[in-house]
Amino acid sequence: MAFGLRWAGSGAFLATEIRVQLHEWLAILTGTLTPGALLVFVAVLAPDLLAVTVIGALVYSMFLIGQRVLNEAAYIRIDHKLNELYHASPLSPEGYFVGIAAGMLVAYLPPSLVLLVILEILYPLSLLAWLVLAGCLLAVWAVSATIGYVVSTLFKDMKTIWPYSALLTNLFGILPPVFYPLRVLPDAWRSVVLVLPTSAATALVNAAAGLETISADETILAALALGLEAIALFAFGIYWARRTARER
Amino acid sequence: MHRPVSEEALRAEDVRKTYRSRGGPAVEALRGVSLAFRRGERIALLGRNGAGKTTFLRIASTLLIPTSGRIEVFGHDVIETPEKVRPLIAVVPQEGKPFFHLTPREQVYCYLRARGFPKGVAKARTEEALDRMGLVEVADRLSVTLSGGQKQRAMVATVMATEAPLMFLDEPTIGLDPFARRAVWNVLRELTRKGATVLLTTHYLDEAEALSERLYIVEEGRILFEGTAERAKRQIGGTLRVSIQNGGEHKELFASFGQTVAEGTSLYVITEPERIHEVMDVALREHLSATVGPVTLEEAFLTIVGRLIDEE
Repeated sequence: MAFGLRWAGSGAFLATEIRVQLHEWLAILTGTLTPGALLVFVAVLAPDLLAVTVIGALVYSMFLIGQRVLNEAAYIRIDHKLNELYHASPLSPEGYFVGIAAGMLVAYLPPSLVLLVILEILYPLSLLAWLVLAGCLLAVWAVSATIGYVVSTLFKDMKTIWPYSALLTNLFGILPPVFYPLRVLPDAWRSVVLVLPTSAATALVNAAAGLETISADETILAALALGLEAIALFAFGIYWARRTARER
Repeated sequence: MHRPVSEEALRAEDVRKTYRSRGGPAVEALRGVSLAFRRGERIALLGRNGAGKTTFLRIASTLLIPTSGRIEVFGHDVIETPEKVRPLIAVVPQEGKPFFHLTPREQVYCYLRARGFPKGVAKARTEEALDRMGLVEVADRLSVTLSGGQKQRAMVATVMATEAPLMFLDEPTIGLDPFARRAVWNVLRELTRKGATVLLTTHYLDEAEALSERLYIVEEGRILFEGTAERAKRQIGGTLRVSIQNGGEHKELFASFGQTVAEGTSLYVITEPERIHEVMDVALREHLSATVGPVTLEEAFLTIVGRLIDEE
């Protein structure tokens, strides 16, 4: 029980969430559509950027999983009141948060696996690049799932939440250099975008794969920013789940 | 399975809750609620919409922090040690719905597993709960395809299957047909026979009367009445009700026999059995049609709550 955390029942709740998502298999399949469509555009317009775009699509897919956490947590709280069923039970609030976050990760991983296969065919990665990719994707999931969960607790109406989901996706997934290389940005902007989790992850993986050149300072900045954001935000997510399990 | 050690299932002392919102006025939802009940009792909270029933239920079930006051479940402080209370309780939330993309069988089973029941026990209890709630035929259909009543039954089955020592049910039979309501009543009676305690809110006064051993009437965040349904009915000045058609204009003629309530063109006189003959004589003399029946809990409720509204 490190830090007083309790995980009893969280595995079963995670399995519940996976089971719920698997019944919605069409949503899982369509999870590949947005990044897949972008790949088609890039393949036609700038085929030399295709490998960068596939890595961007992987990071973007992982960020989208966090947005699914937002929608799922909000839906079962606002529409179904199931959070009350679970919060008034031995399942701890942290188990509830991690159950939803990990449930979305497991259920929505298959589209990302398709992208990994495409990447391996297009541009085989070294072992180091694979490890960097795995670590970065995990960090992006931790950041995005926490943001999604926290935002889901702030509103009392689903329609109010939808614009925030779209806003977050655009702010973190489309505007910064995720689908396009860092090198197209002016120098002054590079440090700014490297503290954003999605563009930091993309830059680190691209650099490890040899698709982009970033300086040692920039590598340290991006790695530190991403690592700290992931750990700090996920810890905050656990704190927030415990705080909001009871209304004030 | 956690077992309570205290024979007192719940004790609330001067529980107050004020909701504050930015820019809006503060709303006092609870203004000093004190109540207590023992293990194995079935208790109903009655009150109008917004009376404070759900607020109390949510505080007692660790979902809401009160502004002040103290509340214990089986001797554990709900506010300070909610983690000790939660294994002992289960809640049917108001307007709660099962996971739409799970079947009722999966819904009940998964919930029991998340509460820590071993697979075999969870499976057996799931089948038993589905059977009792009449859900066997739809047990493998996704809940999204079920009727509103079936969804509600799935929620009740989910919570009943836990056999938690204290169950909070916020309007558990809303939307259920009379047969399904009685199925819920029977299961609740059986659970309390086994030692579970039930606190429910309901707007169905026949349900409160049929099911609860004691009831509390809540109005504007305060408890107006505590006792049995019989005692509530006795409080309003009689045990019989005479309904007089077209008697609305003759209210003063009947005022001396007990409490009179005009509703439309009809007049209702609440009185004691020994005065019935006198009331009927007056009605016949005035050529008015009258019928006699027992006072209902609804009339008692309307009178008790109405008295407060009149006073204010």
